[in-house]
Amino acid sequence: MSLEIKGLYKKFDEVSLYSDFNIGFPEGTITCILGPSGCGKTTLLNIIGNIIKPDKGELLGFEGKAISYIFQDPRLLPWKTVKGNIGFVMSKDIPAAERQKKVNQFIHLVELDDFTGYYPSKLSGGMRQRVSIARAFAYPSDIILMDEPLKGLDIKLKLNLIKTFSQIWQTDKRTVIFVTHDVDEALLLGDDIIVLSQAPVKISTRKKVEVPVTDRSLDSDYLKQLKRCLLEVLGN
Amino acid sequence: MKISFTKRQYISLSSVVFMLALWKILSMHFDSDFILPTPEKTLATTLGLFGDSKFLIIVGSTVLRGLAGFILSAIMGLIIGIIAGINSSFNAFLRPILVTIRSTPIIALILLALIWLNPSLVPVFIAMLTMFPFICTNVIDGIKSIDPDLTSMAKFYKINRNKIIREVYIPAILPFIISGASSAMGIGWRAIITGEVLSQPKYGIGTVMQGAQTFLNVDAVIAWTILAVLISYGFEKAIRWSERKLIVWRF
Repeated sequence: MSLEIKGLYKKFDEVSLYSDFNIGFPEGTITCILGPSGCGKTTLLNIIGNIIKPDKGELLGFEGKAISYIFQDPRLLPWKTVKGNIGFVMSKDIPAAERQKKVNQFIHLVELDDFTGYYPSKLSGGMRQRVSIARAFAYPSDIILMDEPLKGLDIKLKLNLIKTFSQIWQTDKRTVIFVTHDVDEALLLGDDIIVLSQAPVKISTRKKVEVPVTDRSLDSDYLKQLKRCLLEVLGN
Repeated sequence: MKISFTKRQYISLSSVVFMLALWKILSMHFDSDFILPTPEKTLATTLGLFGDSKFLIIVGSTVLRGLAGFILSAIMGLIIGIIAGINSSFNAFLRPILVTIRSTPIIALILLALIWLNPSLVPVFIAMLTMFPFICTNVIDGIKSIDPDLTSMAKFYKINRNKIIREVYIPAILPFIISGASSAMGIGWRAIITGEVLSQPKYGIGTVMQGAQTFLNVDAVIAWTILAVLISYGFEKAIRWSERKLIVWRF
């Protein structure tokens, strides 16, 4: 099964961002979208998330699917604890005990067991983003949209979060659409890497990464070669 | 138990001592209880007030008026403030009304209220009118300060409107409500006593102050004033306490 966008048109201030654009996302995999800043990657996520409407185009396979989000800024409620922030997105239809169990399970997966009662102001930037990741997974979604969630974090923290993310992702392999401008992030997380061009957006290239997400190293020859190839397409 | 003072507390304490010393010097200079009684005599009168058989009903009446005015203005301020915070046209409509209420001299409001209302209602009405603009303006500012990223996050996760109001809007504006309540109480308290002085309800601090002034009981006027200041201070402390309890995430 695949999720698809067909014949997408979107204009902003008379500038045609998307014009007859087509893209597909295999379900149960992580698709990374790479592209220069301002090329319309976030717009694409907003269209998928039904936050903005396309001028024209079809979204196939997305109907009735629940979506969760990991934003660049963790967007945590300052007046709720780690536990409260994760529980916030969970529906009251789920019995309280079950909800609690799920919240605790994801807090454990992002290794914040000792911080459940902490307010965001007392957490580091990396810890806040972990809460945001736990929230996205605790929400019973079919698709996770990620909009540059690692931007601005130092490399050590980035690698750490990528490891945490891929470990949790392994547990139920939800469809992930991950937007970034960082080639290394895409190489470490993506099953598919799609490079977009400047507007009107076209797919410049699409690569498959044939190494399991938990076994990747940026020092491996395979990823080094893939990186060179992607950078060439990106024009660096 | 050892009580230790910080440098700032020492400075504040010296300011109180300075005021008392100035008072003592002036009272010695005038040497007349009808102009300015000594601090000791006033203290004795203040302590004597507690023995007055009507003390509780007098203080209780004023405090109840203050609370009634505060609760009414808080409810109105919250409802109208939330609507104005969300709807910019209503906000534009409301602004001149708030500015007018705020700029009208309290005494003018009292004189009009005396014509329109039962005297015992005048202080409550005045308290309400003086406090309402503070609370309302702060609620509007609170709503405007809400991080749009947080509301959009809640919408992304399909959180329903009621839950967004309860768990995003209200906690976000709570610090603004409390700071509005604090300024409102400061000014509202003075307005209530002024209202009581002029409207002369049966019981009230303002009523007894006016009575004492008529008979030139200057020590009683000052004693009741000290009591009014202490009650106001108590309310301010209660607001600060509730702030620490309600906005625990900020501390």
